[in-house]
Amino acid sequence: MRAMKNQTIQKMGRKATPYAYIFPIIAILFVFVGISLILGIRYSFTRYNLITAPEWEGLYNYKKMLGDKKLHQALITTLTMAVIIVPCQIVLSTCFATLIAKKRHTILGKIAKGAIFIPVLSSNAVVGTVWKAILNGNNSIVNGIFHVFGIEPNLLLGSSKTALATVACIVIWKSMGYYMILTLSAVLSISDHYYEAAKMDGANDFLIFTKITLPLLKPAIILNLFLSIASSMQIFDLVYTLTGGGPSMSTTTIVMYLYDLTFKNGKAGYAMAVSNVFFLLVIGIMLLQRGLMKKEVSEL
Amino acid sequence: MKRIWNSIETIILLLIILICVLPFLYMFFMSFKSTLNAYDLHFSLGEMTLEHYRTIFGKPEIIRYFFNSLFVSVCGVLLTLVTSSLAGYAFARLRFKGNDFFFLLVTLTMFVPGEAILIQMYTVVRGMDMINTFWALILPLPSALGVFIVRQAILAVPMEIIESARIDGARELSILVKMILPLIKSALLTVGIFAFIGAWNSFTWPLIVTTKDEMRTLPVALTTLKTQYDTDVGLVMACAVLTFLPPFIVYLLMQSRFEEGIAQSGLKG
Repeated sequence: MRAMKNQTIQKMGRKATPYAYIFPIIAILFVFVGISLILGIRYSFTRYNLITAPEWEGLYNYKKMLGDKKLHQALITTLTMAVIIVPCQIVLSTCFATLIAKKRHTILGKIAKGAIFIPVLSSNAVVGTVWKAILNGNNSIVNGIFHVFGIEPNLLLGSSKTALATVACIVIWKSMGYYMILTLSAVLSISDHYYEAAKMDGANDFLIFTKITLPLLKPAIILNLFLSIASSMQIFDLVYTLTGGGPSMSTTTIVMYLYDLTFKNGKAGYAMAVSNVFFLLVIGIMLLQRGLMKKEVSEL
Repeated sequence: MKRIWNSIETIILLLIILICVLPFLYMFFMSFKSTLNAYDLHFSLGEMTLEHYRTIFGKPEIIRYFFNSLFVSVCGVLLTLVTSSLAGYAFARLRFKGNDFFFLLVTLTMFVPGEAILIQMYTVVRGMDMINTFWALILPLPSALGVFIVRQAILAVPMEIIESARIDGARELSILVKMILPLIKSALLTVGIFAFIGAWNSFTWPLIVTTKDEMRTLPVALTTLKTQYDTDVGLVMACAVLTFLPPFIVYLLMQSRFEEGIAQSGLKG
């Protein structure tokens, strides 16, 4: 009798084991992702300032977004950044990956592959601090280098005309290596036979690049494209450390605006509404990518 | 023609190296320079000074930031490894109702744009009264990506090994810990490295969930330091070096693992 009871308990234990194993990660994701999304929807219908209790407002926050000029400007800023960053990211990473793949056995190629990754693995706080010191400092040499190109370095981040482009360049500099490595592994997976055959037929380097390398890199480039779009829409750290969103809001991205709304202006409820719409926008882009990638794979 | 092209390629490579490395050289260089002449770049080895490092290691608050970062990162790595191993094993090799469903749920969270739910997460953490605690800094660190990579690695382990162990009456946990984990060491290493660097470099999250100075992590402190010692570039740069070095050292030791990890996951590390 007792033995049987023990056995059933053991059996039940066996059955529960898998659930116990997945419980920790499910719990963490449920609390920080699941509940976040639910709360975000709930608070988006309220006036909420993080301190006093939220008051129901219905769709007011969503309607308000239509007339919010600052939001529109933040959206334009974000899109402008994406328009600067994404093409540069894609073109440069494809070119650099091809070049580094070609030179991967030379010392210089190896060093370049290592060096391009250093900005990727350093914190945005470090990148922001160092670049700010370089651009704002009065170093004769740094200024001298910029003067060669006719640039006044202190003005790059300080003027509303150039701040956005400067931040975008630093973002490109920071994440270049990441996209380069993604593309590089795709370049290296292209079989040598293609190249050998092309060379036999007398094709030059340029033809080989455009007719063989590029078409075969298409899936990697599409992946890069969408990762780059998704991440350039979510820029916050570097803006925060480099300009704080200024001068005169010229570098305030959507996420920066969300931060200001929530923590500076006490409009957390409204921020949630903006954030929900923004969330759907980014998810939409990612779904588009999935669709395109699938099509791409089936075409191959 | 070929030779010209070749030298152009060499020049481009050199430029890439210079542009990527120069800002960091500037950081190191400034951190070893005395404050008095910080703004002129004349430099001789004899003038090199460790004064900034002496100053920052003499400040208890900076030691505290360093400790916070280290503690959060190490706990984050451990928590990520434990949760990913357990869940990865269950999803790969255990039969239970809802396996596919739960796995889909976990994978879906990979598509949630992190910065877009930042303030929502903040309200959750606030609701649990965890602002200014290590819990708030550590608990959100594990992600679906770790589960995904570990599951993938365990799927490559032959089923027979597990079956025969089960027949011998081994418990699932000891199968996992004693047999499977040693076989997937390299996947665990990848997950661990990425978790460490992600946690160490994390900026936005610690920025919003900590308000007390003693709970700040090094990257967050670095940006406030900048305003505190605005004139003292050297001191700020020494702190930047301190923030920069741990991930960099990990990278130097395991460069190939990095590239593999990124290529494997195709997701932001």
